[in-house]
Amino acid sequence: MKKTMIIFIVAAVILVTTGFWFFTSRSAFKPADLVMYGVIIVVVGFALFLGYKRLTSVKKGEPVEDELSKKVLQKTAALSYYISLYLWLAVMYVSDKRDYETHVLLAAGILGMAVVYAICWLVYNFRGVRND
Amino acid sequence: MQFAGWCTISEVYAMTNRIKEYRARHDLTQDDLAKRVNVRRETIVFLEKNKYNPSLKLAHDIARTFGVKIEEVFIFEGE
Repeated sequence: MKKTMIIFIVAAVILVTTGFWFFTSRSAFKPADLVMYGVIIVVVGFALFLGYKRLTSVKKGEPVEDELSKKVLQKTAALSYYISLYLWLAVMYVSDKRDYETHVLLAAGILGMAVVYAICWLVYNFRGVRND
Repeated sequence: MQFAGWCTISEVYAMTNRIKEYRARHDLTQDDLAKRVNVRRETIVFLEKNKYNPSLKLAHDIARTFGVKIEEVFIFEGE
């Protein structure tokens, strides 16, 4: 329950900060900022989804984490790390070929990592984990 | 012709289970069984669909819930 509350509090703080940032920088809005908003929305959305899942588990009287969910997280972390290495290679390749600002490339890389993690988690969560 | 040495252990010993059958015999829902062995309902769903192989402890807890031996609930097809 404590972990779930922390997830919701962090998500709320990020959302409030993002809203504040959006309203104060609306006049100087750049397309590159969209990437940053993308990162924040994906990360916050995923955190809220996980928080909601944990909360419903608590309400049902089920354990928040069990051996399957821990295994799914382990496998997700391992696979997404592996894919992220190639993602950063792609980002380095793009930075050589195109003239993007560093913070845009970093934001794109972080967004990519968040998306890869979410996709891997969804795949393992719905496909299941076999102890091969 | 297939050589056992060229296969992974999981290919030789595919594990299935009879959780659904025993659950029906004991008139338990997936939710009830999950609560008894202290896991989430999704874990029982994945077990029944053979999409997850449980730890020895979970297999033991499930078998004990049904009052049978582990090998009566979990079956290694290669044996």
